[in-house]
Amino acid sequence: MGFTNQTQPTGYAVISCPDFKLQAVVRRVHTTSEPVALVDDTQRQSIILCRNEAAMRFGVETGMKTVQALARSPALQIERPSVPAETAASRLLLETALSWVPGIEETEDGMLTLDLSTQREGEWVDSARRLRGRLYDAGLEAVIGLGETPSLARIAAFAARQRGESFWQLVPERRLEMLDGLPLGVAEIGKELQDRLSLWGVPTLGAFARFSREAVAARLGDEGVELWLRLTGQIRRPLRFAKLEELFEAHEDFEHEVCDREPLLFVVNRFLDQLIVRVARTGRAATAVHVLLTFTNGTCHAHRLALPEPLLDHEILFHLVSGHFDALEWKAPVESLRLRFEPSDPVASQRLLFGAGLRNRFQFEDTMKRLRRLVGSERVGSPRRVNTHRPGAFELVPLPSEIEDAPKSGGPPVTGFTLCRFQGRVRTVVQWQSGRPHRIESRLVSGIVIGVAGPWHVGGDWWHLGKQWQRREWDVELVGKGVYRLVESDEECFIEGRYD
Amino acid sequence: MTGIDKAAALAALRDQLGTKIRSGSDLLRVQRAQEIKASTGLDSLNEHLGGGLPKGQLTEIISERGSCGGGGLVMAAMLSRARREQQYVMLFDVGGSFGAESFPPVDLEALLWVGCTSPGESLEALDIASRDENFGLFLLDWRNCQARDWRGIKSSLWYRILGQLREREIPAVLFAAQSVTSVAKRKLQVSVPVRCGNMDEERKVLWEELAFEAFHVAVKEEEQVFERGEAIAS
Repeated sequence: MGFTNQTQPTGYAVISCPDFKLQAVVRRVHTTSEPVALVDDTQRQSIILCRNEAAMRFGVETGMKTVQALARSPALQIERPSVPAETAASRLLLETALSWVPGIEETEDGMLTLDLSTQREGEWVDSARRLRGRLYDAGLEAVIGLGETPSLARIAAFAARQRGESFWQLVPERRLEMLDGLPLGVAEIGKELQDRLSLWGVPTLGAFARFSREAVAARLGDEGVELWLRLTGQIRRPLRFAKLEELFEAHEDFEHEVCDREPLLFVVNRFLDQLIVRVARTGRAATAVHVLLTFTNGTCHAHRLALPEPLLDHEILFHLVSGHFDALEWKAPVESLRLRFEPSDPVASQRLLFGAGLRNRFQFEDTMKRLRRLVGSERVGSPRRVNTHRPGAFELVPLPSEIEDAPKSGGPPVTGFTLCRFQGRVRTVVQWQSGRPHRIESRLVSGIVIGVAGPWHVGGDWWHLGKQWQRREWDVELVGKGVYRLVESDEECFIEGRYD
Repeated sequence: MTGIDKAAALAALRDQLGTKIRSGSDLLRVQRAQEIKASTGLDSLNEHLGGGLPKGQLTEIISERGSCGGGGLVMAAMLSRARREQQYVMLFDVGGSFGAESFPPVDLEALLWVGCTSPGESLEALDIASRDENFGLFLLDWRNCQARDWRGIKSSLWYRILGQLREREIPAVLFAAQSVTSVAKRKLQVSVPVRCGNMDEERKVLWEELAFEAFHVAVKEEEQVFERGEAIAS
């Protein structure tokens, strides 16, 4: 019995915002009853670039002079293109679309192409409708087309727009039949080819797709073949996915130099608010926060603050960033601040569902940070034995975030007492009798030896020139004082610790 | 009214009120019975502690320097128990007395070691750590410390830590060679003969040989407080 390897059907979606430049300036422009138009003032005479449906009802057309448009509709609201508004709208569109699938290409302004291979086919339609609703809530009106290739999805999106629908799917099994209902203009072909096909009596895309490739190539050349390949789903171009790490970033160049932490934290607070909303919109969380500070003396400070697990808690993130700023020494006033969130992988983690581990990882990280500050980072960690005979050697590793079940049989049984080591070497004067310690004297403990075990010869690192070491160890029992470990090295004798 | 009359009147009043008013000692006993306990991994120690380590309290394990010892063995038992129960343990090691070779590797997996230079520093570290709910047990190893090392520690620090431990119901154990603080709820002296002859015995056997003796200092003080309160109330 095993897993069957089913081929995941490929599918693409194209999200298109009609009249994107206008939508960027006026949200929900097509559903408003007021006539609105976007004008181009850069020409000698101002002309209408695009208009909404309310303006269209008054006879306002694209390319018309603005004066003429105002004559037809005196209530026409005139807007001008805004690059910042378009950037913000593009970001909003992309961030909202990221809640559907991770693979998204920004095909052009107001248009995204999504790779749906990471989602089950049965969920595509519902997801598309949900996304459209979310975009509408955010103020953007979009149409969505689904197809088996990026080109067919684009055709589907244009078809939806042309048919006045919000969603259209070009089902692979019924592709030709569905293309029969689409005029040639939907495929964005040149005017010349369109006219020629119309003259030949080819009114729809379906009729064209039914030709053979050879016949199309012989009569229409490369342009015809390219259209034929697009319609038959034989062109599948790779998508250039948008880089998420550049998406969730906030930046401010201060007009005045910032010398104190408080104003900087005020800006950080505002940035966090913005970024949290934006990352949350994509259904993700932040795994790290990148901080970049530029100082007036030309230096800059960049740091990546890693989070123990993805989160979007404002309080924790603010605590993290402000804590970092507290520890930072400023040698000059701050000129600019850049904050960037590293978004998480949307795959949900199921860790700790049944196992034991850290209850509050953020609290733990905070505790570690403060402990390291107090005692030093080299003195905090989970101890592990190292592969050496060197006494007292252990290494520190980070405490595991999960504790696995203890093994039933933990190897050979543990014997004897624990050794309570003394701080530093406690030098000892030893009186020997028959080659065995008879009496020891030191600043911590002195007495007559009544029991001895050993000696044990220990050594190592003989293969490292100058680093080799060797010693003899004895367990010595003193009258009324317990058992101590006595060490005899080349230079001296000392007591290493007490068995307890 | 003479003293005898007063006592008789008080006794009569108590009889009238029946069980509605309880003495401070009774309240203490009830409180002890209701305490949440964490098992130490040693039956004999659990017995002496009335079921286990009181959560949210500090317990002192005193292992005097002499022919007997056992503090390290108790620590090993607690570590082992916590590992079995998949609980994180934080050890504040003053003076580098910790040796990884004394503990089974598996028991070290859930241990966080904090190396401190002085008892004061270890208490400051505990002050930080006791606000963390991730740990199930805090161990302070002061076995290598002298009374002069902790003399300067303010009692307010002890009480603040105790408050934090109570809030999160985490037990803390202080291993020392002598009694340290009156803040400790329980003080037990541990002893097991440490001889060259029993160095090769299995740890389990040594654990069974551990003997505990209660220090009643903290308990007595508390009872006195209750009795004093009762006297004032009456």
